[in-house]
Amino acid sequence: MHLKLSYLLIVLVSLFASGWSFLEHDSWINIDLHHALSATRPEHFSHRGNISIPSLNAGLSTVVQNPLTDSELESLKVLARQNGFYRLRATVTYPNGGSQRFLTSSKACSLLLAQFNDVLWVSLDPNGYVTGITTSQDPAPKISECTAENTQQINEKNFSSDVIIRHAELAPVPDTGSFIQKFEREREARERGEVRDNRGFFAKYWMYIVPVVLLVFISGATNQDAAK
Amino acid sequence: MDFLQTPAGTLISLLSLLLLLSTCSGLYEDQIKKFDWRSVHVGSLKHAYVDLNHFQPRVLLSTHEQVIGSLCPKTGEIIWRQVLEKKPRGDIKLLQVSGFADDSSDTAAAPMGSHLGFDMMTVQGHAPALVRGWNTNIGTIEWEWSIMPLNTERAQDAVWFYSNSILYHVVPAWRSHIEVTSYFATSGHTTGSTSKIMAAWINPESCLLSGSFYVCLDGKQLISLDLVAKSTQVIATSLSAEPRSKIHDLPGLSGVLIVDKKLVSVNKDQAVCPDLSSDSYIVGSFNSRKVIAYADLINNMLNINAVYLEDCSPVPELHLSVAFAEHYGAPTLRSFDCKSKRNSDGKNCLFLLSTSAESIVAVQQGRVRWTREESLANVIDTQFLDLPLADTEGTLENEMKGKAGDIATAFMRRITTQALQIKSLFLHVIGLGPPPTATQRAGLVRDSFGLHKMLVLLTRSGKIFGIDNIAGKHHWKLYLPNVAGFENSEQMRLIVQRSSKHFPLQPLCAIVAKSAENGNGVLFRFNPITGQASEGGLLQLNYKIKQLALLPETEEDYVKGILILDGANKVHVEPKHATPLAHGMYLYTADLKTAELEGYYVKYAGGELSALPIWNVRLGGHNSEQQIISVASKNPIEHVHSQGRVLGDRSVLYKYINPNLVAFVTQAPDATHKSVLNLYLIDVVSGSVIFSMTHRKVRAPLHIVHSENWLAYSYFNDKVRRTEITTIELYEGSAQANNSVWSSLQAPSMPLVERQSYIIPTIVEAMRETITERGITNKHVLIGTASGGIVEMPWHLLDPRRPISSTTQGREEGAIPYIPELPLPTENYINYNQTVARLRNIYTAPSGLESTCLVVATGLDIFVTRVAPSKTFDLLKEDFDYILISIVLVVLTSGSLIVRHLASRKLLKQAWK
Repeated sequence: MHLKLSYLLIVLVSLFASGWSFLEHDSWINIDLHHALSATRPEHFSHRGNISIPSLNAGLSTVVQNPLTDSELESLKVLARQNGFYRLRATVTYPNGGSQRFLTSSKACSLLLAQFNDVLWVSLDPNGYVTGITTSQDPAPKISECTAENTQQINEKNFSSDVIIRHAELAPVPDTGSFIQKFEREREARERGEVRDNRGFFAKYWMYIVPVVLLVFISGATNQDAAK
Repeated sequence: MDFLQTPAGTLISLLSLLLLLSTCSGLYEDQIKKFDWRSVHVGSLKHAYVDLNHFQPRVLLSTHEQVIGSLCPKTGEIIWRQVLEKKPRGDIKLLQVSGFADDSSDTAAAPMGSHLGFDMMTVQGHAPALVRGWNTNIGTIEWEWSIMPLNTERAQDAVWFYSNSILYHVVPAWRSHIEVTSYFATSGHTTGSTSKIMAAWINPESCLLSGSFYVCLDGKQLISLDLVAKSTQVIATSLSAEPRSKIHDLPGLSGVLIVDKKLVSVNKDQAVCPDLSSDSYIVGSFNSRKVIAYADLINNMLNINAVYLEDCSPVPELHLSVAFAEHYGAPTLRSFDCKSKRNSDGKNCLFLLSTSAESIVAVQQGRVRWTREESLANVIDTQFLDLPLADTEGTLENEMKGKAGDIATAFMRRITTQALQIKSLFLHVIGLGPPPTATQRAGLVRDSFGLHKMLVLLTRSGKIFGIDNIAGKHHWKLYLPNVAGFENSEQMRLIVQRSSKHFPLQPLCAIVAKSAENGNGVLFRFNPITGQASEGGLLQLNYKIKQLALLPETEEDYVKGILILDGANKVHVEPKHATPLAHGMYLYTADLKTAELEGYYVKYAGGELSALPIWNVRLGGHNSEQQIISVASKNPIEHVHSQGRVLGDRSVLYKYINPNLVAFVTQAPDATHKSVLNLYLIDVVSGSVIFSMTHRKVRAPLHIVHSENWLAYSYFNDKVRRTEITTIELYEGSAQANNSVWSSLQAPSMPLVERQSYIIPTIVEAMRETITERGITNKHVLIGTASGGIVEMPWHLLDPRRPISSTTQGREEGAIPYIPELPLPTENYINYNQTVARLRNIYTAPSGLESTCLVVATGLDIFVTRVAPSKTFDLLKEDFDYILISIVLVVLTSGSLIVRHLASRKLLKQAWK
């Protein structure tokens, strides 16, 4: 749950950050998900669910996903034991009717160990078209290998996915404005002839005081010697 | 104490600022050419004229690299060179040397220059077309005029010819007509109106200009037209058979063509010798008579023969046969000239040849007089290789490497090696030692600092050079005919499969290229120290190469296998025995046109390799209007020494060091912003887009460097019309996710991104970061400018964390306050006045010293040097005063001894008192 919160935070932060990289024309997209669960037939994809994002700028999404069947869970466990890839095919549909197909993979084992909690990162280009979809899971805390014993007790069949939209950001331009302002301020101050120095007395004149103090100490020490 | 802290802090930061600003300083005058050398080139030959009878004998030439120049016929050195504009503006269409005009009755006897108004004339470009007259003695421009054609597209195919002080501009309109305009060559005034000649038979594939004749090949006949003749009568000349190869013109003879190695004339006033058959012909003069010389390569012997043009009788004086090294490639005769010998009555002739390996070869008096390796004007890949160890060090190395057995065997081995060493020393002293090997004789032995290396250069023509990086000597040359770069504008590759570390195994390099004949892959493996083919040499693969990667070293012979993805997405490994190492590798491909990336996982199961597609990314936008213009990955041999950056508050900001991160830059025209440039940082193992950023109103040329946790790229800003550099740094944050092993599949997905843009007051042509053995030395970015200079830019100046307002935090961190324009002080130019014309690329390699990085800059010229970004902290200065320090040491030691003695005597005396 703690991680969920942190993701929410990231979403909020990314929303905040994308304040200056908003799309000029907001639009919606629809993502259809298919996954390949079989180790023997890597080209066989079955339907996993559907995500609709009504507003790319708002970044909120509706996720509808089918639970896994028993046989699907079993074949995923087989895949995980072989350290195979869980491959996800996403078909993105745009308002203009066009569609694009994306592929992403993660280790079947980490999906299983994360109890089917995953995050879908949808990356957008500056015009609002999807560049890539990536699925990732939180790293499993202790277990890193999927042996038969490790996977046996996992019975979760429902996917629980977070969708995070990442906008392209606007690149910086050379900041000549503030530099010229700073330069002007310094010039004006120089012209007025009063470079305001608000440092303390010691801070200003320590380079004169230190030698004097040293001299005093040395002479004092020699005087003491002489007095003896 | 508080009041003292702030000024002290200020002082320290000021001092550190000063130190930072003075990290690089220029060379001293006596260090010029001490650590560096430059070789100057002109490019592969386009037109050439040998002229031995001028008061200053010379070879005038123009090249495919838009260079004109003059060479010394005795040595081949450049007398002068002018590097003209880049293509298409600088493309040299015509080079006319006065005295070599077609119509002058006797080329050799014609007086030079003056009465024609020029020594040498060039025509370049098409829109505008520039006509220039040159002074051939010193290479200065004397006059210039230009024309701007009305139809620029059609003018691309325009051809020019010169006849009787008139320059003719011939613009073909394919399948319709030819437009001919004539100009007074020196002034640019037209002599009349443009004449349009109807010619529906012309097409771009089979037409050419031969002197004043426009000739097209149509099946079994040649259709031609004399453009200077009064009547525009079309002449048809039938051939005996349809030519198998392209037809060529014969410069110097109007209306004469080379068709399938034979001469054919379409000009009824010009008879030729139809019985000759040769690979290359040239027209010249000998004894004031016109001759045709021809050259053929038979069994590595170059045979040059000549016949008089008028009666086809042979000229025995011009016959020549000379051994021709294989690495020159196939020769083409370009020009020749003869000069009377001073003492006897014979003649001395110089033949100039260009070859398929882009060499210029001069043959005189039955031997190769000089050669110029002009393929070096197009270097596409370089590698620095360690030289082999000297024998004694080699055996020592062997001993160290030997599997540690028990003490007794180790002791025995040590005794035997030492006995052998004593024996060899004894033999060496009495002069009976083994003769030094070829590499040792050539001085190719590793030095103690690893600064002396073999520089292997791969050129576009397929010629490979082994060059000493200190002396610049060419130790070996190899030529691979019939190879080409790959699709997707990907060049051939030079790969180090085994480095010199594995004594006594020899180092091994490989060239991966595409066969020019069938488009399949070609692999050529060779020893980079001797230049000899090894492991079977040339290997023709029976598949096309789409992507390649290097595998880790094998256990038995330390060879890094090459993993190849072929056109049908099958994977192969070369050599075969390294195949099991390919298991678990990830590959990606990028299509530049559609901007689509695909990732694959390579699996080795049951003795077979397979590639499973695991991700894809589309950077093309919806209609794939975006095209990838640059892909930048990190140098695989890079070490990152410091894992983080200490901030002002003494906390550590950890770097995001992802070795699988690759930067992709795409560009597309945009309706609102004119041109948009996008940068994507993509993890090519997991396929996730780590970061993306967009620039508006910005376009190529783009140059990018990607290293450690940062990248810097330069581009042209269309809005303010200047070159800018944007830098990016990636940080994980104040905690590190996994500090021992990086896994892209379980990585922190969102690094912090610091970014900043700077103005650079020059045009950037190339960028590269310095690299050192362990990565302790500061990183500098080497920036090649359009004027041919290479500037060393410290990363501190490009740092995106330079604070805009001068806060104490920034100062504590050691960052310089932000100034939008980057300084380019002249002492930071590492090549001082040794400019590299048409700088295209800079390559860097670590040396054996941590402080020093080896640099080679390539373009038309090659410049090799070394840089020390943090100064040579691990090396004593070369003017270090050993005598003074030994005198001081001796005096101090003896002084202390004497004083001790005196002190003890004094103590003794005091005790007696």
